[in-house]
Amino acid sequence: MTAAAPSKQYPRLRSAVGGSFNSLTVIGTQAEFYGKTLVSIKYAFVHYRTEMVRLIAQMSLSTGALALIGGTVAVVGFLTLSVGSLVGIQGYNQFSSFGTEALTGFASAYFVTRLLAPVIAGIALAATIGAGATAQLGAMRINEEIDALEVIGIRSIAYLASNRVVAGVIVVIPLYCVAMLTAYFSARFTTTYVYGQSTGVYDHYFHTFLNPTDLIWSFFQAIVMAVVIMMVHTYYGFSASGGPAGVGEAVGRSVRTSLIAAVFVVLFLSLAIYGQSGNFHYAG
Amino acid sequence: MTRFDDEVAVTAEIAHGNSHPERLAAVSTLECPDDGVNTAGESSWATRFDVGLARISTAKGAKPVRALGGFFAMALDTFVLIPRRPFAWREFLLQCWFVARVSLLPTMLLAIPLDVLLIFTFNILIMDFGAADYSGTGAAWGTVTQVGPVVTVLVVSGAGATAMCADLGARTIREELDALRVMGVNPIQALVVPRVLAATVVATLLSSVVILVGLIGCFVFSVYVQHVVPGSFVASLTTITHAADLVVSWIKAAVFGLSAGLIACYKGISVGGGPAGVGIAVNETVVFTFVALFAINIVATAVGVKVTI
Repeated sequence: MTAAAPSKQYPRLRSAVGGSFNSLTVIGTQAEFYGKTLVSIKYAFVHYRTEMVRLIAQMSLSTGALALIGGTVAVVGFLTLSVGSLVGIQGYNQFSSFGTEALTGFASAYFVTRLLAPVIAGIALAATIGAGATAQLGAMRINEEIDALEVIGIRSIAYLASNRVVAGVIVVIPLYCVAMLTAYFSARFTTTYVYGQSTGVYDHYFHTFLNPTDLIWSFFQAIVMAVVIMMVHTYYGFSASGGPAGVGEAVGRSVRTSLIAAVFVVLFLSLAIYGQSGNFHYAG
Repeated sequence: MTRFDDEVAVTAEIAHGNSHPERLAAVSTLECPDDGVNTAGESSWATRFDVGLARISTAKGAKPVRALGGFFAMALDTFVLIPRRPFAWREFLLQCWFVARVSLLPTMLLAIPLDVLLIFTFNILIMDFGAADYSGTGAAWGTVTQVGPVVTVLVVSGAGATAMCADLGARTIREELDALRVMGVNPIQALVVPRVLAATVVATLLSSVVILVGLIGCFVFSVYVQHVVPGSFVASLTTITHAADLVVSWIKAAVFGLSAGLIACYKGISVGGGPAGVGIAVNETVVFTFVALFAINIVATAVGVKVTI
């Protein structure tokens, strides 16, 4: 490949057109990878179940320095804990400036379920499980371990990518339960213990406006988000190149892309699920 | 004699195994046993204390504590070195440009859907009250107090800080930082200070962009999709959001940027273990900056609420 190529006509035009073609190629490659990943899920279930179980264990507890601070569960729990108390702090103070601080319970039931829990869970998933997957796969790619897998006859996409997508979906269900419960609990704790609202008032408004259908849709959003995030992160891990710095850059780029993708997924799902009328009735 | 050899082995192990910020401390403990051997095996209390301390600090359970201590040591070094001449202006400007370049587009792409999601949820609620004229109030309040600083730092840490950590980590692995030290250049002053300041400055500036872009997104969505009257949207923007909220938001963004820069640089200069090590360090940078961001956000919000309401 190092042989000198003759210079071509119209170099500027060529580079401009070639650049736009290249970005199209990148999109095509990504789409092909995602398609292959989803199709290969059946191979993952048939052939690589042991690896799947190992990945589930690894994702839920995490490895290295993250395991020392409690792993993915602790990170997700902490983020939603802080968001719940933010709802308590901002909600209580803002509502009490209108004299309607009784509605803080409502803010928790409404905003946490529909808006905050999915978004924060997406951020936490991208940062912990997702970025970890990119780091692992990127290092494997740099060390040519992925090529080695192909050589010994293991389907690398099914073994590494599809398995991670499935494991991500399985892990996200208990994680999302933890996320919702900590967010609700910390909003209640902040409002009733720190700001001293009576628990009866809080619980009344909380339970009145907690809609079970919304909760189920919220779970659905989290699962779709997990699929999207894991696919983006495995793609960037697979396509890492350029030595140690390349792995780091791939992690950064994947976090950026998956955050944007996750937020867009939540937005469009919310628009699709709740519609323009919002499926919400304050009057009951 | 054998016990003493053991001690030297322990201290030597610290000197090799430890990361750079801790290396200076490790070297100072290494000197003490030498004094001990000069006074004919009469190990003083201070020497034994140092060796005991070294033994405790090399224990496996002490790892997170040591990392925390190393982080604070580096943060302190950075703060002390900020006013010291010569300031690395060139590196600072390059880093500012770099962070702004990688963060600008993702910030907007993240700010628009988040704000639209916020205003969509909020408008459903207030339209049910029949108070759709106050749509702008919720947009301004949510964007300025929460979405602006938080989105900025999510992107600055997700895009800028990860790249900084990857860059510094690769340099550490190639032993470029050691080479700098050999040449008498302090890597903290030459590399870390400009990066941390660049992250702080750019985060502050970007938060304004996020607020502006977010409000425009809210306006377009509310007016053209949810049919709010544009005049009343604009008029109600400043109902509960004032200049003080904006200042608090900038301060938040600056503090977030500072902590993201510090965490990224610490993780970068304390990396070890080849390509996988850099990948893991970047992953930890993302997790720790996000956790720090949310922890700081609670405190900053509680203080900000006291100041502005």
